[in-house]
Amino acid sequence: MSAEDGADVTRASFTLGDRVGSGGQGEVRALSDGSLLFKEYKDPSKVNGGALADLVAFRQSLGQSDRSRLDSLAAWPLCRVVEGNRVLGFLMRRAPSDMMWRTAAGSTKLIELQYLIRPPKVAWQEVAQPTPQQRRALAVACAEAIGWFQSAGLVIGDISQANILWSLTPGVAVHFLDCDGFRQVGRAAVQAQAGTPDWNDPLVPSTEASVDTDAYKTALVVGRILAQEPYVAPGQELKLVTGCLNDRQEGGVRRLFSQAAGERGTRPRPSEWQTALSDRGTITLTAATPRPRPAIDHTVLDGARVRTPISLRAPGQ
Amino acid sequence: MQILPFYMVCDESGSMAGEGVDNINSALPELHQEISTNPSVADKTRFALIGFSTQASVLQPLADLSELTQLPSLSAGGVTSFGDAFRLLKKTIEKDVTDLKAEGHDVYRPVVFFLSDGIPTDEGWQTDLEELNSFRYAPKIIAFGVSDADTATITEVANFKAFIQQERTVSPAMALREFASSLTRSIVNSATNMSAQGGEGFQLQVDEHVPGFTSLSLDKL
Repeated sequence: MSAEDGADVTRASFTLGDRVGSGGQGEVRALSDGSLLFKEYKDPSKVNGGALADLVAFRQSLGQSDRSRLDSLAAWPLCRVVEGNRVLGFLMRRAPSDMMWRTAAGSTKLIELQYLIRPPKVAWQEVAQPTPQQRRALAVACAEAIGWFQSAGLVIGDISQANILWSLTPGVAVHFLDCDGFRQVGRAAVQAQAGTPDWNDPLVPSTEASVDTDAYKTALVVGRILAQEPYVAPGQELKLVTGCLNDRQEGGVRRLFSQAAGERGTRPRPSEWQTALSDRGTITLTAATPRPRPAIDHTVLDGARVRTPISLRAPGQ
Repeated sequence: MQILPFYMVCDESGSMAGEGVDNINSALPELHQEISTNPSVADKTRFALIGFSTQASVLQPLADLSELTQLPSLSAGGVTSFGDAFRLLKKTIEKDVTDLKAEGHDVYRPVVFFLSDGIPTDEGWQTDLEELNSFRYAPKIIAFGVSDADTATITEVANFKAFIQQERTVSPAMALREFASSLTRSIVNSATNMSAQGGEGFQLQVDEHVPGFTSLSLDKL
């Protein structure tokens, strides 16, 4: 098994256990030894195997501490599963056990973001709800995680209520799923994928993902967590949960949330959310006045130019 | 909010006595569990249960499954009056859609999962079906036939998809559970593809193939 070194594994090299879940792109099954999960694509012909290899290589390229950080933040593709030339899917770790809950009927489910962004109901009362302070900490954890992915050169794409898990024990933590939907900036995606309804940037088609759509969706995550309102979006009023934020934080969050309704390129960056939600106060800085630029003497700089042709044939051709 | 109403319409005639109704009754808590613990799905869907035999009755009025703590059980007896089921369905849908709209919701065309284990005992049910299919909130009907159900009748009832039990490979008990699971999957997958605010549209998601059933062609000439 090369889940650790990232080398491809063949489908014949492991046996499968229970089915863990299924979605539009494929299904997830446990390996029979229980250690890892296998996501198997429904239609391998639509999979960009190179892009999946890029994601595996990204994890391998990280130093030990960053790799541990990635593993704590995401169910990342550890290695591809292949059969001949076909890429069938990939192996990944199970979500942390702290991010699961047991229903009244005894089945186990993931603690998805959907249980954090709406008022609780009896049907899922086993999901422990956060205190207002923990709610703020979870919003910060999401912004921090998205900021970390962004600084690592990644586009997340489908940020949604089903793709982020959370827990309060042992400490506040979040964990991203469906990481084969991530791509590196400037690289292709593993599969064309539409975003989740109710989680799309209204300014671009739901199949387009960029750092900017991630920024919009960060506002959805933070706003919906803090308002406990699953459909609120930038441009609408945020009714924040009482006791989550102090006056300074509240002012910052409201300003950033409405800023996210703006044009592409103007949405708040994850770090701005972190600052707004931080426990620390902020210091207003006075911008230094720039030194006046010296006058330009065009008679010196704009002289006659000599242009010569550049040969486009290699020598000898 | 955009709402997609689902109606489970079950035959509870005498021939469903014993294992028949028992299997549906024991599958209902699983359906409830799956939907009610998935709030983003429960938000956008509503569920009603109608039982029919000599007469039809609304056993569970249209509701958000996550608000329910119990469901009435099916109880077998009587003959199989399709006409009564279709008339009640039409009347119920008309009222439910009107009520949902009055609450400010946008309502998608309702979806009916219809199940029967026999042939209709009443005359003129086709007229009632026609009226159901031609009224303004006409539902999409997915029909399932088990045990003695007749392929031609099930095909006639369906207007979206039809399935008939593969008698040689599965028991009616197994088929009934698969019917309920297929309904659960349809609710989850349809709601997951549907925006609360509308806009991008959505497609009703129903299994192409249900384990233990043969899919029937609905190409009617």
